[in-house]
Amino acid sequence: MENQEPSPEITPKALPLVEAIRAASKGGALVTQRTLEKEFPDLNVHALITESGVKDLKKMEGSSDVYYFSDLSMTEAYAVFMYRINEKDPVRLIAETVRDDSRIYPRPTPVATFREPPFSLSARDVEEALGRMTLRPDLEDIKRSSASNGALYLYSSQFLSEAQGDALTEWFEVGVRENP
Amino acid sequence: MQAFGYTGKILRVDLGTGKITTNDTLKYKDFIGGEGIAMKIMWDEVGPGIKPYDPANKIIFGTGPLCGTGAPCSGRTNITSLLPSSPFYGVASSHMGGYFATELKYAGWDMIVVEGKAASPVWLRIEDGKVKIEDARWMWGKGIFDTQAMVTSFMGSQAQVAAIGQAGENLVNLSVIRTGSSHSAGGHGGVMGSKNLKAIGVIGTGSVKIAADPKAWMELDKYMMSLIGANNQMVVPSHPQPWAEFNNPTSRWTGRKGLYWGAANPPVETGECNPHDMQSVGYRTQKAVFDLGPGAEKYTVRMGGCSHCPIRCHAQLKVPELERYGMDPYVANTCVGWSGPRGVMFKGYKPLAGKTAEETRVIANAVGTKLADDYGVWCNYAQLGRDIAYCYNKGVFKRVLSAEEYASIPWDMLLNGDPAFYFDFYDRVSNKKGEFSHIADGSYWIAQRWNLGDDYWNDKDNKLWTRGGYPVHHSNESGAQVGALISCFSNRDAQNHSHMNYIGSKLPLALQKEIAGEIFGSPDAYDAPSNYTPMNEYKARFVKWSLDRSLLHNSLTLCNWMWPMAVSPLKERKYRGDTSLEAKFYSLATGIKMSEAELDDAAARCFTLFRAITVRQMGTFDMRKEHDQTTKWVTAQEKAKDGSYMKQFTPGTIAMEEQDMQLGLTMVYKQFGWDEKTGAPTKAGLEKHGMADVAKDLASRGLLPA
Repeated sequence: MENQEPSPEITPKALPLVEAIRAASKGGALVTQRTLEKEFPDLNVHALITESGVKDLKKMEGSSDVYYFSDLSMTEAYAVFMYRINEKDPVRLIAETVRDDSRIYPRPTPVATFREPPFSLSARDVEEALGRMTLRPDLEDIKRSSASNGALYLYSSQFLSEAQGDALTEWFEVGVRENP
Repeated sequence: MQAFGYTGKILRVDLGTGKITTNDTLKYKDFIGGEGIAMKIMWDEVGPGIKPYDPANKIIFGTGPLCGTGAPCSGRTNITSLLPSSPFYGVASSHMGGYFATELKYAGWDMIVVEGKAASPVWLRIEDGKVKIEDARWMWGKGIFDTQAMVTSFMGSQAQVAAIGQAGENLVNLSVIRTGSSHSAGGHGGVMGSKNLKAIGVIGTGSVKIAADPKAWMELDKYMMSLIGANNQMVVPSHPQPWAEFNNPTSRWTGRKGLYWGAANPPVETGECNPHDMQSVGYRTQKAVFDLGPGAEKYTVRMGGCSHCPIRCHAQLKVPELERYGMDPYVANTCVGWSGPRGVMFKGYKPLAGKTAEETRVIANAVGTKLADDYGVWCNYAQLGRDIAYCYNKGVFKRVLSAEEYASIPWDMLLNGDPAFYFDFYDRVSNKKGEFSHIADGSYWIAQRWNLGDDYWNDKDNKLWTRGGYPVHHSNESGAQVGALISCFSNRDAQNHSHMNYIGSKLPLALQKEIAGEIFGSPDAYDAPSNYTPMNEYKARFVKWSLDRSLLHNSLTLCNWMWPMAVSPLKERKYRGDTSLEAKFYSLATGIKMSEAELDDAAARCFTLFRAITVRQMGTFDMRKEHDQTTKWVTAQEKAKDGSYMKQFTPGTIAMEEQDMQLGLTMVYKQFGWDEKTGAPTKAGLEKHGMADVAKDLASRGLLPA
């Protein structure tokens, strides 16, 4: 990675942990602390990784576990997607992804996105999550918009106005295809 | 003198006299190549008053100095002539990819200028320096697929063939010239037909010499390949991927794990396509699923494309269900090659028996595309379908067709979404059967013929951009005034992707704005989508840059559906591309050192000449009033979902504003050094570009602003 200080030499004890995390990241997956502890029962996983000083190893605190990845082969953005998927909370996954899209690009998010990789939620999970979202005051900013072909999109009113959300939904869903 | 990059020779074929001659390309080198040189020839040799189908019109097949060198995305052929669908038969260019241009260079020719009219149907046979006019009476009346097969049966399978179908033969204004299985140049098929020229076959066994040390060339080539994205230079994948910081569901970088060329044997997985892996560039764009939906994955044999292009943007499908329609199962195309025919069936497709809606979409669209490609019908960038919808929905057909003809049209098939309608439709249109067939005269001509009036022009859903009869093509929806103004300067749909290959990169807004600041002087050159701001000088610079670069690419010839490289997929470069690449390639290929600014200036010379030809053809220098005005819907306030009108420059609307557009025109005229009141080239501006002769000619006709 750019402007990154070289990592110190990896100790023999930490090496298998570092290798496991890097291999998982190469395959597009996070590794949880619990998994590593299971695989390497004799090692103090958390301490070894923290003290190793290996710069490409990154940590994310989950609700019930700690996730590791190597940014040599996985971007932080993708790791965040994986983190949200691993947390198995579709409401949070959808809301946070929608807010990110509305803030960064900015654009509304097609609900269909969550049925596709890497999210791959079931239709039922998506439907239930959308229903539960409407009951959460902390998610009041997540709004719905529909394209003329019926496709449903979500956006955050923190970053997009209703008119912009509607216009961009129609553009991304219909306009882009009609203006190749 | 040894020519580098260029072959040094232009082939001239006079079909009227049978005379075949050669010109020196380098005498035109100030006009770069391809479209630029073609504009010079049109200015010099095709005067005002000549009509597209007159023998005095010329049709010019052009390549440029980068074609055939191996520079990435350099397989384009530029075709320039008078455009039959234009109200004033404006000079215009159409473009096709494939392998024709490269083969022509290898045969030793930079361009072909076809003049006159043959007494009976002919085809042109080019085998290196050997050029013959051959009898085409047996080919006449055949579709393009059969014609290509016949030419290759004479010349061998190495031959690259450009041909017209029945539409071109019958002087249908909306007709194409096609090469390969799917590369069509829309608009000039009838001009070939008017010359009785059915096809051009070419075999080249030579090579293109470059001036540079091959090592320097390869280094530049590798550097360029590190910056290239997916189709339309989209540098962000459609789905989240481990290597990617960003994603966008509408990106053409569709390649990912789990997505296949499903009809390949065995199926080929596109895979992750990490941008650092140069060998997987060709897998990035799974265009079949982008153009035709997820149902196309299982029909995809592979992606095809053009010579010397690592981006394979043409979906090549095997659709066994086509056999039910008496067609072979292989079909290929890209973008509007699919959506144009799809638009003809404006009520959509009804699911075929035993097929899902997704499968039907592929099968039905394939039927339409295959027929359009064989008859050689152009969709006028999808306007043909909108025109049919307008005329049907507004009762125009009922009004202008005889009761007998109206009853003979299988409307039930159209309304019920039965793709068999295509057979009737393309036969009628291509063979000019009945009044209905005039639908393919082009929008301006049907408006005249069928008295369609203001409602037709100003209907927002009809998307006509100007009364010149051409539609939106990456216009106000693409970069606000930037796209809107670009669309005002053409004599056909803008065919300009210089702005799109940056605007459409799919990078986040903040990054896009930073890059705009670096190229155009201020982040204000680029507005957030659907959140526009009033016109400013930086947007005018962006417009000029886009117009210059499009003409530059059509002259070099590079693909303007990929170039310029304003952005890249590389995080370590902060997603910056390199806008000086064209100049670097040009300098290395030709040995003529040109900076980025110098090459842009040469393109501006060509664009100014194009403008001068338009002035001369229209017989007025008031381009602002007579040429550059949009239809009214472009500047009309849009309705929000609640029925209220949205004021321009508020979030949610992409409507332009009349005064602001006029200001935009003034600013762009100024950028080009044209008269700020009329938008016409001036004496000083023409002389600055070394075109005193053009100034003198226009002055003699009273067409030079004071």
